Amino acid sequence: MRQRHFRLTFPARRATRLFKQAGAWLIFGVAAVAGVLIALFGNGDQAQLLFSTCLFVVLAYAWNIISGLSGYVSFGQVGFFGIGAYVAATCQIAWQWDWYLAALGAVLAAVVLALPLGTVMLRLQGIFFALGMFGLSHIGALIATSTPLVGGSMGEPVPIVGSTQETALVMLVCAVGSVLLTAWLLRSPLGLRLLALRDDEKAAEASGVNTNASKVVAFCLSAGLAALAGALYVWNVGFIDPGSAFNNTYELQTILMVLFGGIGTLWGPLLGAVVISLISNALWAQFPQQQQIILGALILIAVIWMPGGLVSLFQRFGWLRRHPVWGPPPMIEAEAPRALFPAAVSSTGEPALRCEEITRRFGGLTALKRVNLEARSGQIAAVIGPNGAGKTTLFNLITGFDRCNGGTIRFGETLLNRLAPYRIARAGIARTFQTCRPFPSLTAWETLLLPALAAGLSKEEAIRAATQMLERLALREQWDASPEGLPPGQLRFLEIGRALMLRPRVLLLDEVMAGMSPEEIHLVHALLREAVAAGCAVVAIEHVVPAIMPIADHVYVLDFGTTIAQGRPDEVLRNPAVIEAYLGTGEEAPVNA
Amino acid sequence: MLQLQTYLLLLLTGIMWGGVYLLMASGLNLIYGVMKVVNLAHGDFIVVAGLLAVSLYGAFRAGPALAIPVATLLFLLVGGLIYRGLLARVETTAPQGELRTLLITFGLSSIISNIALLIWGGQYQSVPFFQSAVHLGALFFPESLLVSSLLAFALAFAVQLWLTRTRSGRLVRATAQSELGAASCGLNTGRIRLLTFALGAAMAGAAGALTVVLIPVQAASGGFMTVQAFTLIALGGLGNYLGALLAAILLGVIEVSSSYFLGASAASAVIYVIFILVLIVRPQGLLGQRGRI
Repeated sequence: MRQRHFRLTFPARRATRLFKQAGAWLIFGVAAVAGVLIALFGNGDQAQLLFSTCLFVVLAYAWNIISGLSGYVSFGQVGFFGIGAYVAATCQIAWQWDWYLAALGAVLAAVVLALPLGTVMLRLQGIFFALGMFGLSHIGALIATSTPLVGGSMGEPVPIVGSTQETALVMLVCAVGSVLLTAWLLRSPLGLRLLALRDDEKAAEASGVNTNASKVVAFCLSAGLAALAGALYVWNVGFIDPGSAFNNTYELQTILMVLFGGIGTLWGPLLGAVVISLISNALWAQFPQQQQIILGALILIAVIWMPGGLVSLFQRFGWLRRHPVWGPPPMIEAEAPRALFPAAVSSTGEPALRCEEITRRFGGLTALKRVNLEARSGQIAAVIGPNGAGKTTLFNLITGFDRCNGGTIRFGETLLNRLAPYRIARAGIARTFQTCRPFPSLTAWETLLLPALAAGLSKEEAIRAATQMLERLALREQWDASPEGLPPGQLRFLEIGRALMLRPRVLLLDEVMAGMSPEEIHLVHALLREAVAAGCAVVAIEHVVPAIMPIADHVYVLDFGTTIAQGRPDEVLRNPAVIEAYLGTGEEAPVNA
Repeated sequence: MLQLQTYLLLLLTGIMWGGVYLLMASGLNLIYGVMKVVNLAHGDFIVVAGLLAVSLYGAFRAGPALAIPVATLLFLLVGGLIYRGLLARVETTAPQGELRTLLITFGLSSIISNIALLIWGGQYQSVPFFQSAVHLGALFFPESLLVSSLLAFALAFAVQLWLTRTRSGRLVRATAQSELGAASCGLNTGRIRLLTFALGAAMAGAAGALTVVLIPVQAASGGFMTVQAFTLIALGGLGNYLGALLAAILLGVIEVSSSYFLGASAASAVIYVIFILVLIVRPQGLLGQRGRI
């Protein structure tokens, strides 16, 4: 019954959505053509309005890429506008370059500068990044004011000035280009990585995403776009001075536009930029002095009462939703299913992962003290122990999210101690998290695609592997569901699937079976047996001892950071030390667990 | 000998300026410590209080003795209203809550500074009070600096006493350390946050009304002052009082010596450079976890 219902509605839903997506693009196309007509046949005022609107569209998309898609809100992106303006002006004044060469030079200079700046600044989080960028853009303004090279604090005219119509047309092309760039980003693996790291940077790293590189690329794209706007601005006004190149009002307006339209969306910045440009153009004519006060008030309104922006008003009816990347999953014919795990490289029983004497201290607390652990390929090792025994710390150390104070962790011959988490993940050590860390912006389908692409599969291979995984996890019907809409059990499966998409040699499971129904536990057991048969080494932390004991080959019992017992499951469970750790000796007050 | 005297003068002047900076930053520190909100309008509060003192001086020839209580009370009220009307509507703990509060204060900063521009115009203004020089042995200091820094250290000390020795201060610290924990012990954390924001704004008001005798302000100076204050509390470790004291003295000495050796315009760039270096190298502040509210 459910199947039939699904077959009926599924293509219909898709078709209406495609139709609506096409509708949005159609409106966009009409608006662009109208813009071209204004640029060609409009008077000077209209063309100037078109120019400044398109300028803000470009700035809004520049800001949206770094602050909306990657979630790193910057209060200094206008600094790159200033840099672009200055580089273009210098090229024109000093070397008489043509405007397009100057613009190209400005973009290149901004990207070259953004590369080291982004590498350093993007290590900062949240407000630190936002305010750090604010400081940087002030330093830029100070340098521009104090250098006598291009006009100093008074400014200087620029020799090559385009006609208003000409500049408006070029700016319009750039605005359309920035919309297309964002649309492409949202459909590309890079966009997928950015959305994932915006949602949860650690989970993205665990899925094999080099988050630092992705952020820096986004930062450079954003800087290049802003610099392009700056270069064209100089060409339009024919004058350069620090006050208008590093203009805080531009920053304020840009942020307002994106928030107003809808941050992190495809159409939000466009909608916001056009609406706010028209409003502030009208305000400027009426209340030149109060303009900024009104803009500030609009920011308050947008943030407090309209957190999703204008776009969210449409979104409520399913319009303008982001299109899942390369979806829907294709139907696969009866071909041989792709192996979930790479072919066993070593014979069963060989140690794949070896932790020797690892120690981790947090201040005065020793969370792990000289712990040894071996994961053998083709075997399941269980790690059990009371709360606070150091089990999750152990996983964090192995996967690079935390660093040992002593000891070594080896994967085959590779020393893992200092490798970045994403490298460890790509090398073939996958993990799940104790509490699920899904990506709310990604669909179930995209959540599985992400690690497959990170692990180096081609687009076609990744699509095929992700489709098969959806089938395996019985999630095919929910392929375009947001993780927030999935019940807890399926969310857990999605998390396991995400780890399996890395095709791991070592699989670290952190309490995956907690709270699962017997049927779900059965499915996990089946998956684990398949993993083991393929030569994968499984290490499972479990609280529910009966859930793991039947399939475990080896058991480690941790308590207060040390291994108090290890061996075959039946031996360990009879060990008096283990019984004491779990149940107490009866002579002391029970510890709150 | 003369060299030594110069260095001593630079050091003492630096420490005094440090006191002034501490005063200008302590409201921001309190608000961040308790609410995890960076109030980007903080500098604008200071500027408006300063310009208010200028107007009071112009109208009644009244000095800081009148301006400080007036500005303090006014900003206590303004802070309370801003919290009730705007910040209380956004959950700080929600996803992007921190960002949204930041954007609210960002918008607020633009509103306040531009209203100030409409009222007071864009010229730098100051209150000519405490204009004599005070001799201490062979060294002499501007009276305005001496008075401001003494009051500043006194106020910082008073806040510290309030936080550690009084019942209401303890409640505020409890909320700062764990809002959830405080709420589950039956504290009305909403009211404590209201109190904190109002007090932080009042501290900015007091700082502005006092320091205008020393630092001329204009309507748009607020942004720079916010960055300066944020640099200080970031260097001290956000929300850390002991660290802020240490950072204030350090920044004061650096600023005074860099403007002595490099000139005034370079000194204003130095503050931004320090700011970014602090963010990158030591985001947890000089003292880290120790001395937190």
